Amino acid sequence: MSRLGLSLTINGERHDVLTEPHRTLLDVLRVDLGLTGTKENCLEAECGVCTVLLDGRAVNSCIVLAAQCEGRRIVTIEGLAGDGGLDPIQQAFIEHGAVQCGYCIPGMILSAKAFLDERPEGTEAQVREALAGNLCRCTGYQKIADAVVAAARSRARGR
Amino acid sequence: MSFEYHQPASVAEAVDLGARFGAEGRFLAGGTDLIIQMRRGKLAPRHVISLHRVPGLDGIEVNGAVQLGALVTHRAIERCAAFAGRLRGLVEGAEVVGGHQIRNVGTVGGNLANASPAADVVPVLLALDARVACLGVGGERAVALEDFLLGPGHTACRPGELLIGVAFGMPDARTATAFLKAGRRRAMEISVVCVAARLGLDAGGERCVSARVALGAVAPTAWRARDAERLLEGQPPTPEVFREAGRAAAAACRPITDVRASARYRQVLVETLVPRALARCLERIRRGAS
Repeated sequence: MSRLGLSLTINGERHDVLTEPHRTLLDVLRVDLGLTGTKENCLEAECGVCTVLLDGRAVNSCIVLAAQCEGRRIVTIEGLAGDGGLDPIQQAFIEHGAVQCGYCIPGMILSAKAFLDERPEGTEAQVREALAGNLCRCTGYQKIADAVVAAARSRARGR
Repeated sequence: MSFEYHQPASVAEAVDLGARFGAEGRFLAGGTDLIIQMRRGKLAPRHVISLHRVPGLDGIEVNGAVQLGALVTHRAIERCAAFAGRLRGLVEGAEVVGGHQIRNVGTVGGNLANASPAADVVPVLLALDARVACLGVGGERAVALEDFLLGPGHTACRPGELLIGVAFGMPDARTATAFLKAGRRRAMEISVVCVAARLGLDAGGERCVSARVALGAVAPTAWRARDAERLLEGQPPTPEVFREAGRAAAAACRPITDVRASARYRQVLVETLVPRALARCLERIRRGAS
């Protein structure tokens, strides 16, 4: 089968990969590039653990072909913390005890980031709606919602 | 999954590829249905033609008529300011599809081509008398949405034809739309039943002059409850008339029992949600939101 040469911009860095056309963005991130912060679970866009940002918008990387991402900006959980330390959303998750087993957290945080980037002053109800596509089987939703609302406040203070 | 991959850069190139591969090819838009069905082995096209580089298919045009390009996402419908009034039902249909990750990439064209009986946006388009535009090497044709939907996963789009968009007239003044969905939870849910309504009143607001009632998940395709529509036309917009329309829709629909709900429960939902959707239209007309 023919392979495709793709140039992907991930967390601000350009990566050139050679891959088969049926492989998803999730496959390439985890297997080819070793970026295992993005998790794999249902592979049917139900659970949200594989959420990454594609041109700033949350997508399920399990159903996006890598080929469709050529030339687009991808942000994974590895790309969130900067030189100044953790992203305020990551910090808020720690401070609010929002992480239990942790498996859903990278997706939760990226969905939260996409939401707060668009609506910096999100209410709790809006936060819950924004995270509807991310399942937590430890069922720690309250603390997750608390953390995102707190992150919105700390981001507002930081501006 | 294994296939040859193509990414045309124009509509013309996409149509040529479609014609070349016919039934062995599938067009790929947001992938929220197609990739999952391919991974499950339910679909195994030899050629996948991705549309993400095709320009001109993601536009929303509103000028008397409304045209949605096939690649318009649910997210774009949700955020379209021109739909906040008389087309509110369309926004209500789009905003309950999956979660944000799905709505950010899932398209109206994909929703139509996938022809799920439970698709949320489709009943609203049916209530708007929408027409689907299909383009093949022989040219473009418009198909009434009702005739386009043939059964679960089956449409009137011919092998190789590209669904390029969907169009409908902007509803008249004193007309409103509404959409209601019943599921077992509020998000990430396939509809147990969904109802779209369009109601138009006369100048005095005393009589219904136009009515559409379209239902999802109660038949092999999204379906218009014509008995209910006929009962409404010419009648005063009262709760009694709306309830009668609900009973007529419930009596005429033929739902199945499945893992999500029993047929009987679906009929009860139809009987309840149809009058509720009509009342919501009426409230919107009276508030002047339409």
